[in-house]
Amino acid sequence: MFCLSELEDTVRVPPSDLNLPLEVAIKKALQKLFLDKVLSIGLCVSIYGIKSIEGGFVLPGDGAATYKVVFRIVVFRPFVGEVIAAKFKESDSNGLRLTLGFFEDVYVPAPLIPTPNRCEPDPYNRNQMRWVWKYGDDEFIIDDSCQQIKFRVENISYPPVPTERAEDAKPFAPMVVTGTIDDDGLGPVSWWEACAPISDAED
Amino acid sequence: MKNIIVKANAGALTNFEVLDLLNSRGASKDTTRVIASETVSRSEYKVYDYLMETAASTQTRESVTKFSDKCKDFKLAKAEILNIINLRPSSDVELTPILEKPDEREIDIEGILALVQELLPPLPTVEAQKENEQEETENDEQS
Repeated sequence: MFCLSELEDTVRVPPSDLNLPLEVAIKKALQKLFLDKVLSIGLCVSIYGIKSIEGGFVLPGDGAATYKVVFRIVVFRPFVGEVIAAKFKESDSNGLRLTLGFFEDVYVPAPLIPTPNRCEPDPYNRNQMRWVWKYGDDEFIIDDSCQQIKFRVENISYPPVPTERAEDAKPFAPMVVTGTIDDDGLGPVSWWEACAPISDAED
Repeated sequence: MKNIIVKANAGALTNFEVLDLLNSRGASKDTTRVIASETVSRSEYKVYDYLMETAASTQTRESVTKFSDKCKDFKLAKAEILNIINLRPSSDVELTPILEKPDEREIDIEGILALVQELLPPLPTVEAQKENEQEETENDEQS
């Protein structure tokens, strides 16, 4: 789900950092610019390394030095068809929302939850809806108690920044991953634990 | 501010490689996390926490390289090998959603699972602790 990307950008090192070794100062400026930000290629997780630094000119009227830097970053960008383990975050009538800790906008819309299913108001939490999967005679609940939920990536989208929003709207998500749990081995891990794994504990 | 993306994809990384990178910067399970905060930011720590709960936390560079070499015999796509390394499936039902059209391609599922079992270290789970506790109680009963 991670990959490297090479970028080239002009970086401004503020005068207060000019006493640091050059690489450290540039890395600091890069981290401020890119870390935890969503680019068109995905969510930037970490600065991998700097390939080259050029310039160091001081523009008129500015105390800072400007460098042209070529560097590589680690980007979180899952590919379609990848299976990822996540945790339950919340659910509503549209579907489930899962989280990876560092990335919280994974949505499983209602059509991608295994059928037959039903949605019922959560008895423990008045604001939420709970999804229940009916398989044969058994019913499986999807909620907070599931330790890990595996999903397969269906799509990644980058919604454009909205210009106006309602007061109580959810915080804007610049990157949204849509997943499915409607297949063998997907969904809460506890659903599949009954299937015999090849274990070497019997040796 | 314009930035020019030279290469959007300069190489895919397994979860293990990213964890290795964070480890080499000084990330650790230590709860205070004061010492490493110079080199590892809070958002990087969130990634570290996530990865420590996956198969990547018990893997070694050797096992991962050996595994991906041997995978070439099984005619798997690069993305599928990456997925298998990241998830470490231990049963048929865990492996099938990773593969694309396994029936049409005549994939040796048993062989792949056996290779996973042989080369990749087991997952870091609470179950391992429970197994240890069971072994201890058995020993007590015997003595």
